[in-house]
Amino acid sequence: MRFMMITAMGTALVLAAGPTWADAAAGKTAFAAKKCTECHYTDGPAKEKTIDDQLAKKGPELWYAGSKFQKKWLGAWLADPKPIRPLKYGTLNKKNPGDHPKLAGTEAANMTDFLMSLTSDAVKAGMVKVKKNIKGKQIFIKKMPCSGCHQSPGRKGKITGGFSGPSLVGAGKRLNPDWIYAYLKTPSVFKPVKAMPTFAGILKDKDMKNVAAHVAKMK
Amino acid sequence: MPKRILIAAAIFAASLAGTGDAKATETEKVFKFYCAQCHGVGGKGDGPNVTEDFKVSPRNFTKAKEMNKLTDADLKNVILDGGPAVDKSPLMPPWGKTLTGEQVDGLIKHLRKLCNCKGKQG
Ligand code: HEC
Ligand code: HEC
Ligand code: HEC
Repeated sequence: MRFMMITAMGTALVLAAGPTWADAAAGKTAFAAKKCTECHYTDGPAKEKTIDDQLAKKGPELWYAGSKFQKKWLGAWLADPKPIRPLKYGTLNKKNPGDHPKLAGTEAANMTDFLMSLTSDAVKAGMVKVKKNIKGKQIFIKKMPCSGCHQSPGRKGKITGGFSGPSLVGAGKRLNPDWIYAYLKTPSVFKPVKAMPTFAGILKDKDMKNVAAHVAKMK
Repeated sequence: MPKRILIAAAIFAASLAGTGDAKATETEKVFKFYCAQCHGVGGKGDGPNVTEDFKVSPRNFTKAKEMNKLTDADLKNVILDGGPAVDKSPLMPPWGKTLTGEQVDGLIKHLRKLCNCKGKQG
């Protein structure tokens, strides 16, 4: 009897939480069922300790996906994934084959709810004001080597830049501006072992915000 | 007794040689992970980032003539603080907040191996 009451209360709670919660739960189940777990991990904090750990990964970590991505972009990408990194993940000499698994409509929506529920406390809201930022642009293309490793939209929409980092074309729609700043400021929280140099302690705090704002404006 | 010392000495020597190799392998891994994206795996300045948009050629580490103009201290300086610290292009990143001192020292040795040169002394 007592057990039944507890079960009933639990069910009521689930119902009260509404469809968002239910969708995220379905997404979580699908994440394992669809073998997304083979290439991505979703339980933080970051696990990578050595270069070998980083190179052994078959796909990027997703444990802070809800802090990193914009929901609208994520839903659309899961249904129709287009290459983000110019090179095949973890390599320097192969092109990204663009063969990421695709999800159908509802599946993509549930998965989006699940991934958006994975957040990191290290990302604080309202840190970056997204508007045209000349200083940030100067840092990105002139003062610092960002463009050496990242593609970005240049003059007249021409795409320029290096291949070893994820392309930042469309970053304004893809990434949460406050995550970009948090990643620059405390990279070890998100990516303890990465081929990108750490700029915290080299760029001033203000300039990390400036360059984050510039990246967040990229179309 | 002497025999035991000999064996101990042999083991000690072997372990020294072992760590030397392990260090060189580790350094190669570090070079490949951080530097090869621009300088190329073989250090010839031909990494995947070097496209027609790339304004300044990354140093070709196999050219002894150029590498001999630099002291080990110069190498350390540019690796830690980036191109602008030595009046070179900002496309050479500052790695001082990324690499450990030991990794940087290993890289300097690796560059000297690639150029097969000792560099400017002093
Ligand atoms: C075979 C390995 C593999 C499997 C299986 C896989 N992924 Fe991925 N995933 C990748 C790789 C590699 C990338 C990077 C793609 C790119 O840059 O274009 C990626 C990128 C992503 C991204 C964007 C992350 C970022 O930081 O850019 C999301 C979100 C994602 N995957 C979700 C999923 C979901 C959901 C599933 C299950 C349906 C899944 N993946 C299955 C390898 C995989
Ligand atoms: C030496 C190459 C290199 C340089 C220089 C570099 N990056 Fe990166 N960047 C990378 C790589 C590689 C990654 C992916 C790291 C990972 O996920 O392990 C990355 C990731 C990023 C990301 C996250 C992208 C995503 O979708 O996950 C942003 C934003 C970024 N870099 C911005 C910058 C800015 C701003 C600068 C200049 C201040 C810069 N980068 C300089 C190589 C570089
Ligand atoms: C984003 C691309 C990039 C990456 C990654 C990079 N370099 Fe460079 N490096 C350059 C460029 C470009 C130059 C040439 C600068 C010039 O001549 O103005 C250079 C020059 C150098 C020089 C010669 C400096 C001089 O005074 O002539 C050394 C030494 C060097 N790099 C070491 C390294 C090491 C070690 C790494 C890895 C930890 C590394 N670089 C990673 C782009 C890069």
